Amino acid sequence: MKNSPVAAMPSKATAAEVMLRGIPASPGISIGRVHLLIPEKPTIAPRKIAPSEVKAELERFAKALAETRAAIERSRERALAIAGIAVGKIFDAHLMILEDSVFHEQVSSRVSREQFAVDFIVCDVLGHNMEMMQHQSGELFRERAADIRDVRNRLLRFLRGEGDVVPEKPTEPVILVAPDLSPTDTLHIDRQLIRGLAADTGGLTSHTAIVARSLDIPAVVGLGNLTSLVRSGDAIVLNGNSGKIIVHPRSDTLTEYRAKQDRFQTFLSSLENLKDLPAVTPDGHEIHLWGNIELPFEAESVLAHGGRGVGLFRSEFLFLTRDTAPSEDEQFDTYDKAAEVMAPHPLVIRTFDLGGDKLHGSINLRQERNPFLGYRAIRVSLSRRDLFRAQLRAILRASSRGNVRIMFPFISGLEELREAKAVLAEAMAELERERIPHDHQIKVGTMIELPSAVAMADRIAEECDFLSIGTNDLIQYAVAADRGNEIVASYYRSFHPGVIRMIQSTVKAAHKAGKPVAICGELGGNLLATPLLVGLGIDEISTSSTVIPEIKKVIRTMPLSDCRRIASRALRYSTAAEITAYLTKQLKTRLADLPIWFT
Amino acid sequence: MIQKEFVLMNRLGLHIRPAAQFTKIAAKFKADVYLIRDGMRVNAKSIMGVMMLAAGYGAKLEMECIGEDEEQLCAELTELIENKFHEE
Repeated sequence: MKNSPVAAMPSKATAAEVMLRGIPASPGISIGRVHLLIPEKPTIAPRKIAPSEVKAELERFAKALAETRAAIERSRERALAIAGIAVGKIFDAHLMILEDSVFHEQVSSRVSREQFAVDFIVCDVLGHNMEMMQHQSGELFRERAADIRDVRNRLLRFLRGEGDVVPEKPTEPVILVAPDLSPTDTLHIDRQLIRGLAADTGGLTSHTAIVARSLDIPAVVGLGNLTSLVRSGDAIVLNGNSGKIIVHPRSDTLTEYRAKQDRFQTFLSSLENLKDLPAVTPDGHEIHLWGNIELPFEAESVLAHGGRGVGLFRSEFLFLTRDTAPSEDEQFDTYDKAAEVMAPHPLVIRTFDLGGDKLHGSINLRQERNPFLGYRAIRVSLSRRDLFRAQLRAILRASSRGNVRIMFPFISGLEELREAKAVLAEAMAELERERIPHDHQIKVGTMIELPSAVAMADRIAEECDFLSIGTNDLIQYAVAADRGNEIVASYYRSFHPGVIRMIQSTVKAAHKAGKPVAICGELGGNLLATPLLVGLGIDEISTSSTVIPEIKKVIRTMPLSDCRRIASRALRYSTAAEITAYLTKQLKTRLADLPIWFT
Repeated sequence: MIQKEFVLMNRLGLHIRPAAQFTKIAAKFKADVYLIRDGMRVNAKSIMGVMMLAAGYGAKLEMECIGEDEEQLCAELTELIENKFHEE
């Protein structure tokens, strides 16, 4: 982000600086003024109308309904173009709400009977429905309240003759702050004016986070009560790299962050010319540097950041953004689109990893005492053969492009791998009978994310084409610390020597079987880890696309011989703290300008 | 008036798409139809009303059909519910 409109002085001399921590959802640093986007409250006062006005009032309602319908359809088209079917479905739901015949009747009869202006009646009826919905049990039902609010706000704007615009549209660059951004808000953002997004709610896969990353706008979500702490016009610093938000920054804070911003910007532009270069160490050892994606259109971002393949395409979004299981055709369309964008580079599709923290209505997962040790990922797939087979068929159909690979999550040993491969073989035989083209030699990989899989990595490697270490889960299960549980967060140590040894032994086992091994977890995107991973013999690193240029910079700076030395030295330390300190020192002396040192 | 009780056996329960199928059928008839769950009674011609029940898999519901074509209405809705909203 370039210069911001914030003057050298804080916005209010009396306001104290406040720092909040959220979840970094899209990288970059922004400094600007808050534009608070609070969803309109139903504050429309009842306005009496004359009996003679009823007819005109109802015509006004019909006209606004038609205009809103057209507007939602436009959003739907836009969503399909920008974000694909998953987001488009949100607007299908909006249309169904708008078309509710009982809602229309209630409004018409109440306007005639009570003789109030239609705006007030619409607000009253939908406001009531929203409140009821908000108090429902079941996340999916509660989410509908936000959809009703979005529909209501659009309808009210058309009733007021304001057309389809977000009210109080900013006229200068701002940082948008909202409890949660509605699908309409996020889709109609003017990215020239919005320098950052901050939301009270949401996680990494929330709608806000996904849209922010796709539009390359720095974003922090999950901030709790930010909206109650700020007003429009307040100065604010948003750090999408660290998840920090600073409201009413002191002038020294502003100076510090302007410097960080400049360094970040300088560093980013210095990476520009790395884009088309391979990730090769100065002594000629190539690492395959790939991107992790969640939505098919993110494949473009991987290419734009210089990644030459997708090492992890998380297919769960097909479930998480909707309430029905996706059909085979819909999945095929999604996978094929991503494969087309990536071709000839590889696209590794991981089969559904549902369960654990990713629950879904269409699977009917029961409440479990220990969901992370329970019914998830391949376990769900193997017990729901209908869903699994449809997904495998869709992946196989997309594989006719020749660059698709398949990967099974949460494999604990050979039983699940063999069973999953058997279902895959059945799906292939079916396609064969139906004469549907597919890749007969499709490469099959296994995620190594359970300690039992690490111990069995030699045998697993013999029965598949590649291994991919999912470090997020591997660390969680290796140290037995739920990564979502703050109480034990300090036990979740990426550089735990036990974890590093597990990676080392997995690499050895894979290489002994002549199979490549990848890293596709957070550790792959951690610059500190890069020399260590390269030194341990990792063949591929797959990470979020925005970090690719930095990782590439590290790889192109550090000779393989150095990385090997660093890895063997790191393995001699006994604690995570020692390893972290050692790696930090090694990297800092060689690459003093990396953004991790100052964000 | 026809009264009927049933248990939702479709995986999604009365979520937006199943609810839309339900209200679409209900809208074709003159008779009124209500759904009752845990003492909450909603007009089942309204998609928002139906979703307000937050009726998931296994939920017990009562249905009331009232009006001249109530029998046909009840039959069609029962068929939809029994066929699990053609979800699979």
